[in-house]
Amino acid sequence: MSDKKGPITLKVILIGNSGVGKSSVMNRYVNHRFTNMYRATVGTDFLSKTINIDGDTVTLQIWDTAGTERFQSLGTPLYRGAHCCMLVFDVTSKASFSALDGWRKEFLIQGEPKDPSDFPFIVLGNKTDLSDREVSDKLARQWCEEIRGEYFEGSAKEDLDVEKPFLRAAQRGLQQYKKHTLENTGHFQITCKQPRETRNTCEC
Amino acid sequence: MEGEAQKATASWESGTLAPVDRLRSVRADSPIPGLVEGTEPGRSLSHYQWDYITDCALILKTAGAGQKSAMFIHAHSFEDLTAEAEEEALRTVDSGRSEEQHEEGLKALVAEQNIDEQHSNDLSDSRTKEEDVSSEAWRSHKKHVFVLSEAGKPIYTRYGTEEALSSTMGVMMALVSFVEAEKNIIRSIHADGCKVVFLTKSPLVLVGVSRTCQSDKEMLRELQYIYYQIVSLLTLTQLNHIFQHKQNYDLRRLLAGSEYLTDNLLIRLERDPGLLLSAVTCLPLASSSRDVVSSSLQAAKSKNLVFSILLAGDRLVTLVRKKDQFLHHIDLHLVFNLVGSSSSFREGEGWTPICLPKFNTAGFFHAHISYLEPASQLCLILVSTDREDFFNMSDCKQKFMERLSKRSAYQALKEAVKCPSYSVAQVGIPELRHFLYKSKSSGLYTSPEFPMVYQSDEEQERLLSLYQELHSCLHHPTRPLRYYYRCRETENLLAQVTSGFELYLCFSPLVTKASAFAAVNKLLKWIRKEEDRLFILSPLTY
Repeated sequence: MSDKKGPITLKVILIGNSGVGKSSVMNRYVNHRFTNMYRATVGTDFLSKTINIDGDTVTLQIWDTAGTERFQSLGTPLYRGAHCCMLVFDVTSKASFSALDGWRKEFLIQGEPKDPSDFPFIVLGNKTDLSDREVSDKLARQWCEEIRGEYFEGSAKEDLDVEKPFLRAAQRGLQQYKKHTLENTGHFQITCKQPRETRNTCEC
Repeated sequence: MEGEAQKATASWESGTLAPVDRLRSVRADSPIPGLVEGTEPGRSLSHYQWDYITDCALILKTAGAGQKSAMFIHAHSFEDLTAEAEEEALRTVDSGRSEEQHEEGLKALVAEQNIDEQHSNDLSDSRTKEEDVSSEAWRSHKKHVFVLSEAGKPIYTRYGTEEALSSTMGVMMALVSFVEAEKNIIRSIHADGCKVVFLTKSPLVLVGVSRTCQSDKEMLRELQYIYYQIVSLLTLTQLNHIFQHKQNYDLRRLLAGSEYLTDNLLIRLERDPGLLLSAVTCLPLASSSRDVVSSSLQAAKSKNLVFSILLAGDRLVTLVRKKDQFLHHIDLHLVFNLVGSSSSFREGEGWTPICLPKFNTAGFFHAHISYLEPASQLCLILVSTDREDFFNMSDCKQKFMERLSKRSAYQALKEAVKCPSYSVAQVGIPELRHFLYKSKSSGLYTSPEFPMVYQSDEEQERLLSLYQELHSCLHHPTRPLRYYYRCRETENLLAQVTSGFELYLCFSPLVTKASAFAAVNKLLKWIRKEEDRLFILSPLTY
């Protein structure tokens, strides 16, 4: 589905507890807007944005999922086929940070990525504009190391460092994408066709 | 009594859970079979309910602080089936009335002052949630709605927080259980200008407390809507499953983040005549343009696509459905409510599971919801049976947009959205201020914009409650009326029902009865002339 010619489509999925600001982060990044009014996401919101990563034109398909329990109980078919997963938490809520481990595991189970140990996770601490911080930078980084994820923090409200994590997600997603396209061709065409396939990709 | 209760629910269900087959036969000649006209909620129940409610009353004595107090508990029981018991019951009603006093326990639920509540148009209701439930302001709300589980656990309250109300809800459950233990079913409590209406829909109990002059039936209808709203979020299957496994489950966990849908539905029930009439209204649009829009939508089909709905705000532009599948107006109103309450669909494409309880309470559909343009009022809802169908639906929308934008009809549609209503002056009846006209066969209604005198929210709600009274009278379960004319200080009202339509008119208070009746014919003529613009006359299937 995503292996079409033309711009590469990367699927990035945002997960995390309800109220941590997944939709806000996405909206800030894609539409450059922010609203203070909180309204829980219904189901999943889908937005796309075309960007340029190291010379490649990439369409980011961003899936903003509902963090509320109702939607968790319904299963999450949309996790499948993701190229990168963004785990979002609220730096003023310890609980939202602790929950990330569960979110990550759920993602690995439901999303069935090909290589779970190497799947790219971006961890994003939101709401750094607030003063009552509960999760320190150090703590977050420590956990990120454990899961081999990358840590970013910022504020959707103040438009602080919202771009970076998405760019990084796109880069990591692109690596993932390329790796698996190659691996795929390798799986199916073990003997003679692999070199030719490689030549083709070189030309474009 | 168990059997009795079941019978009551059974008749209710068969009256409203319109099975496809029955609808097909009933709707064979309907111009818009895609929409199912409202089977009046309550009509099927009515014989059951009203006979007992009016004929019997039971006095509950409460031993509260030595105060001699009484309130009416409307219930029905086997005993009431005998004439003797009926007499007895009537006597108790009289005696009960004379000693009717304010009851302490009830005071906790409702207070006397009639402070007009203000709904700010602001849809974020977080403030009302924080309200102190012991405050006068909380007590003086016009209408409260509570939802609890059969274990007495709070699930939803319109005002205040559920936690703070756990004991109050406990009392409600106690009342339900107390009457149940006597092999009765509690229907309503009437006391001192306030009404408490109960609706038990296992595993949920819904309670409405109102100080308006709404009839029990109207309140039940509203509670029914709230029940369906909850079912549409979870499905009845899931709801039953949860409570079978864990009776004391806290359902708020699953409903977290969706409370505002119920809040908004309650506001709609007060303001949207469609919910009263069991009908929806259309965007006025030249039939030639509508046909083009409809056929573009019709062409954008997909294997699992069941309904395509195009809305302009709260107005239907067109609806295309799978052959032999019908959308009930309650389901449609729930979809309207979902779309109207959520701002997030504006930002991108939404994909959400939704149960359409009148279609089937057991499972989820999956709805692709998106606006045609970011700032547009036009919202497209594509309902699929497949949860993996997002990209197919997204393609359907794309196809529809491609087709539509090539046609001049899109421009006409965008123009029509700018003036989604019409002025009553167009009808050319000077004394006529406002009206509701429902075409029974199509399940659609039309109504002009509110005139100057009814500009404020309070005035609109007041007018709507007047219409509601007329509606109650016309649809009275035992003494239905065909005409109803009413003179008031502020306006004169006329209502008429025939086999084909329902009509509610509001005139200036100076109008005479004769000229009011003459206006009906003139209005009908005008509607006939404008019919193809105001209604959807050619419904489509894929």
